[in-house]
Amino acid sequence: MTERSMLLALFDDVDPAADAIEKLRTMGIGDEQMTVISGIPVLEKFLGRPSVWTNVPRLALGGAVVGFLAGMFFAYGTPTMYPLNVGGQGLFAGPPAIVVIFELTMLGLLASTFLGVFLDSYFPSYQPKEYVTEVSDGKIAVLFSCPVEMESGISKAMTALGAEAVKPAEAQQL
Amino acid sequence: MEEIKQKWGMVIDQDICTGCQACVAACAMENNISFVGEKSAAYRRGMHWIRVERFWEGQFPEISTGFQPVMCQQCGYAPCEPVCPVYATVHSDVEQVNLQVYNRCIGTRYCANNCPYQVRTFNWFDYERPEPLSNHLNPDVTVRRRGLIEKCTFCIQRIYQYEDVAKSEGREVMDGEVVPACAQACPADAIVFGRLDDPESRVSQLARNERSTQLLGDLGTQPKVIYLKGGSGHVRNG
Amino acid sequence: MSATAKTPILSHEEEYRQHLMLDPRPRGEMNAMVMESMQTTSWKFWVVTGFLALVVLVSLVGIWGYMIAEGLGLAGITRPSYWGIFIVNTVFWIGISHAGTFISAILRVLKAEFRRPFTRAAELMTTFGLAQAGLSIFMHMGRVWLAYWMFPYPNQRDLWPNFHSPLMWDFLAINTYLLASTMYLYLPLIPDVTMARDRSTGWRKVFYRILALGFRGTEGEWIHLRTAMGIFALAIIPVMFSVHTIVAWDFAVAMRPGWSSTIFGPYFVVGALHSGIAAVAMVLVIIRSTMKHMTYFIRPEHFDAIGKLMLVVSMTWAYFFFNDYMVQWYGGDKFTRILLEFHEKGPLGWIWFLMLIFNVAIPWLTLWNKRVRSTPWAMFIIGLLINIGMWFERYIIIPISLTINRMPFTWGEYKPGAEIPLSIGTLAFFILLYMIASRLVPLVPVWEVQEGQHAHSLRRVGKAVAPTVSELE
Repeated sequence: MTERSMLLALFDDVDPAADAIEKLRTMGIGDEQMTVISGIPVLEKFLGRPSVWTNVPRLALGGAVVGFLAGMFFAYGTPTMYPLNVGGQGLFAGPPAIVVIFELTMLGLLASTFLGVFLDSYFPSYQPKEYVTEVSDGKIAVLFSCPVEMESGISKAMTALGAEAVKPAEAQQL
Repeated sequence: MEEIKQKWGMVIDQDICTGCQACVAACAMENNISFVGEKSAAYRRGMHWIRVERFWEGQFPEISTGFQPVMCQQCGYAPCEPVCPVYATVHSDVEQVNLQVYNRCIGTRYCANNCPYQVRTFNWFDYERPEPLSNHLNPDVTVRRRGLIEKCTFCIQRIYQYEDVAKSEGREVMDGEVVPACAQACPADAIVFGRLDDPESRVSQLARNERSTQLLGDLGTQPKVIYLKGGSGHVRNG
Repeated sequence: MSATAKTPILSHEEEYRQHLMLDPRPRGEMNAMVMESMQTTSWKFWVVTGFLALVVLVSLVGIWGYMIAEGLGLAGITRPSYWGIFIVNTVFWIGISHAGTFISAILRVLKAEFRRPFTRAAELMTTFGLAQAGLSIFMHMGRVWLAYWMFPYPNQRDLWPNFHSPLMWDFLAINTYLLASTMYLYLPLIPDVTMARDRSTGWRKVFYRILALGFRGTEGEWIHLRTAMGIFALAIIPVMFSVHTIVAWDFAVAMRPGWSSTIFGPYFVVGALHSGIAAVAMVLVIIRSTMKHMTYFIRPEHFDAIGKLMLVVSMTWAYFFFNDYMVQWYGGDKFTRILLEFHEKGPLGWIWFLMLIFNVAIPWLTLWNKRVRSTPWAMFIIGLLINIGMWFERYIIIPISLTINRMPFTWGEYKPGAEIPLSIGTLAFFILLYMIASRLVPLVPVWEVQEGQHAHSLRRVGKAVAPTVSELE
């Protein structure tokens, strides 16, 4: 196994970054060996990157189902356990049940969406990671691993395509 | 028309009522009602579970006064019941009255707003009973603290007491045996209490009178109090 | 050079450059501006903060504590108005809180780009407004130490709360909305606290590092964040509508003249938007005039857009108000008609008239004019009057309408007592929370501003330029 090193190429705009990624692919760096870090979201299609799978919608739907069931329990389960007649309305009242079920379904949906972000992104994680603060200044960083002997060749290619800097990526405490 | 569930009920004859307010005093004594002081009472914070409303009819000099004692109507379709968030006021299926559970009330006062008869009162403070006033307290009835709602209970402590007595003697409660404090005190015998589901009881017979009416009856609350009015100085037994 | 040498193309372009989206600056510069506005604090700020903290201490801790110990009798509520200013404040603050969701959710879904610089300022209003609403609800409860009984928790006596009650729907809806809007405030905040983390030292860096959760901006993180924000933006809109509708149902399902109005649901939602958007205008004026560099982010164009919204919402409010009024006036029962007359000609009739002047007349007379809409101090005054008008509206609906019921023997006027210092306390607390947040939280979502600026450009079309927006999201 050849030794690999992690490099980080910093770009100012989407166009040079997209060109650079394509160049990296022609030089033999696979998509899984690359990560793009940016200060604003850039859609994968603009960078020519494969789209990333996200579990958030499915988790959201699951949470909505859990919320729905909780709503059903509050509306129909609790009067079964604690039956009290009020106002001549009957034990199980339809319109109040609709309100309760709606609110809890939405709560389930939104809470699980929020938690889904945490789960999918492995938040919170305070380990040292590869990062440069220029990213939050709006730059696009292409983080990739390449065989050590290709390092200088790739660096030159990146710089030729407009990289502001190409440096070794060190995991640092964020 | 749906069948109306009823058990305990009351008939109040407004044509006989003299407005003496003995019922108000008796209820206050029986149910440990707090004294709020003159200033608070003027600001409508009196705690009375029964009030005697006074109406003037006619133009001077042909004015007549009408008196209307109003207490909790123990509605079958009580608007106060479904709105309590903690089930502090619920319907008793056994006694067919509206129950107020003091221990459970958290004081949102939604029930008081929703009562069309405005019969619910709220404990605005912990009202004091300086000695020896506390000696009058009825041990059969809770003393309420601040922050909760209370209202007429049809003297449910007396209902339970006489039901217990009747049960221990192996019989049914007799008509006229259970007398709430207001009915007991009324010198004109304008308040009659008993079983509305027994067609032979005194209260049922009076309820069938042609003068019978209900307060805000068109709201559909199914009150258990029937008012007799429309005669002028009509003597009931004459 | 003659006067006609200036070509029309240039002056149009200049005019367009007045717009934030068409006047981009490097992200690093914008970051520095936001950080500086957060960290530059004058002595005047501390004076105001200290004063507000004192008011909050005296009012919310002192007076409220005393009221809990002594009883609600210290307030002015009594028969027949068992609900008074505390509930007015609750509805008022929930109304204010709707503005945040409107701006960050509805405007995002509708792709109204002018929302970008102030979504966070609006969302903070939602969270802090809901906090005041919660306090006001607790203030109104007779036995507030038992408030937890409204929470459905399993217990050995199998006691559950009553879900038939509109107050329980309130409990569920307001808590859902509070949690949802706090989550929706936090998600877009993550990239900004990342930026703040990168540019801070000392305790601030620790604070932002914790909040940033280790965010870097990788493709995965952005996809998860953006998907979540998309779901939130869509889902929180029905929640927002349901919350104030349910609050409206506290009144509408009751058997009171003037309250049993079927239109209360949407009427309250529109009323919430009315006062909320006006409050956003007020807050933006203050932010713009007191914080450094905010004149770059918040511009007359934003007040212009908000002003148009305020005018449309005012017209919608007038429509719903008249709907409610006309139906009760024409076909209402005896007590409803007596109530309407009491509103207009009773001892507090001046409140009713001022409500209509502030909510309808003033917006309609002023907000059609672009110059007025683009003038911050004018928008502040109009916003303030609208908020006063909407507070009056709730005062009319609650204590004044409760005065008239179907038992005339019980009628009586409501005179507030301890409610007044406690209301001032909630207002002071709201402003205090906001001022503290302005020191800790980047008020402008810079990444969203940059995102928008990337998507906007000026395109030459024929003889002129036109702003273009690309769909980069």
